[in-house]
Order: sequence, then structure tokens, then C-alpha cells
Amino acid sequence: MKKRYWRCFVCNDIHYGVAPPELCPTCKVLNAYVEISAEEARKILGGGGAGISLTADEFRAAIERFAAGQEFQVNPDREKVDLLLNGIFENERNHGLKYCPCRLRTKEWDEDLRLICPCNFTIHETYKGVPDGECWCGLFVRRK
Amino acid sequence: MADLLMFHGRECPHCKRMMPLVEKLEQETGLRFDKREVWHEEKNADLMRSYRPIIAAKCGGQLKVPTFLNPDTGEAVCGEMDYDKLKDWALKQS
Repeated sequence: MKKRYWRCFVCNDIHYGVAPPELCPTCKVLNAYVEISAEEARKILGGGGAGISLTADEFRAAIERFAAGQEFQVNPDREKVDLLLNGIFENERNHGLKYCPCRLRTKEWDEDLRLICPCNFTIHETYKGVPDGECWCGLFVRRK
Repeated sequence: MADLLMFHGRECPHCKRMMPLVEKLEQETGLRFDKREVWHEEKNADLMRSYRPIIAAKCGGQLKVPTFLNPDTGEAVCGEMDYDKLKDWALKQS
């Protein structure tokens, strides 16, 4: 099923998915989403002013918050994480999105969305059912 | 036999760890790997993409690095591995 863009008519929260959320997670209004064009979504998400970008340190903090309380954690090997974050940001600069530095994009848009960090690594063979599992690049490892 | 191919990424820690093992293997066996960096060299990326059906079939459906490929036979193996496993694979290609 093709994913589409949706906008909350109350607070302009943007959702990308096959169907809109029933409840807007931002303003908590029910049945508030209307389908919009990709162009409109891009303009809203792009921001009217300076926009919202993340530095490598802010991204590191974001993935630490993301992993908190999960069965996985950010790799405690700081040197490895530094190298990976460098690659992720190089890829964002050179190729537009925070693609995994350990897999190559195919140039097929939908396929390559699977490479944006953090990816859905918990279903991957390097993680699922593996006691010392980690995502393919090793940024996330199973919490001990 | 043509050189074996190694596709790698500059910021990939697995590739970084495999590189000295590949160099040791080259010295020990005389085999040669044509090392292609794929995230900063677009022509290398295109070369890797041209082998996508072969590599994806062996590497969980994706173009993962590091990937070691015999371009003559389409034999491929990917990921970080110990020296003996890499050596076994490489010697089977010769």
C-alpha cells in the first residue's frame, strides 16, 4: 500500500503513512487529518525560517533518548559511534538523508527509506534472536 | 582470473576492521582485491549497484558493506568475518 501525506487541520502535525492517525499526537483532536500533497508536506516540514536541523551531538542525544528503556542501547564503543555518526552526517550532506554508512543506497526512493538511521534493525538477521545482536552497522547493540 | 572486488565504505567500522585482514591475505596468498569505496565515489557505487541481484541475494536483500565479490562467478560474501573465513572464501575463488 502506498504511503501518503496527512496534515492535522488543527495544529498542522504531519503524518506519512497509509492511513492517518485517529488521534493527533500533538493536539489530541480526533479525526483531524486530511490528505495533502507531498509538496505541501515538504514545505511545512521544511520550515519557514531557519528550519530545525540536528548537529551530530544533538542526533547522538536523540538516539540515546530513543534507546532509553528499550532492549537495545547505543553502542558503548565511543570510537565506533563517532565514526558512524561521521558517516551518517556525510551521507546526509552528500546524499540528502541520514543513510546507514554500512549499506549502499539503491537510488530507489522507497527502498532507500529503509536505510535511514535509525532503521528497523530489530527484524534484521544481525539482531533478531541473536544474544549479542546489533544493527548492521553496530550503532545499536542489544542491552546487556 | 580478474581481481576479486571489495566494496567498502569510508565510515563503515566493519570495513575498517576488515581492511588490514584483506591486506594480510593479499600478501600471504598473492590474491588481489580491487577495493572500491562506495559512499564517496559514485562510479564505485554504480559498479556495486550493477551487481545488485547477485549481492542482494547473498546479503539479506541489501547492498551491504563490506562485500567481497568474484566478478567472474558471481560468488559473494558480506560482512565482518575472521581471517580464516575470508581466506577460505578467497582461495575457493582462485
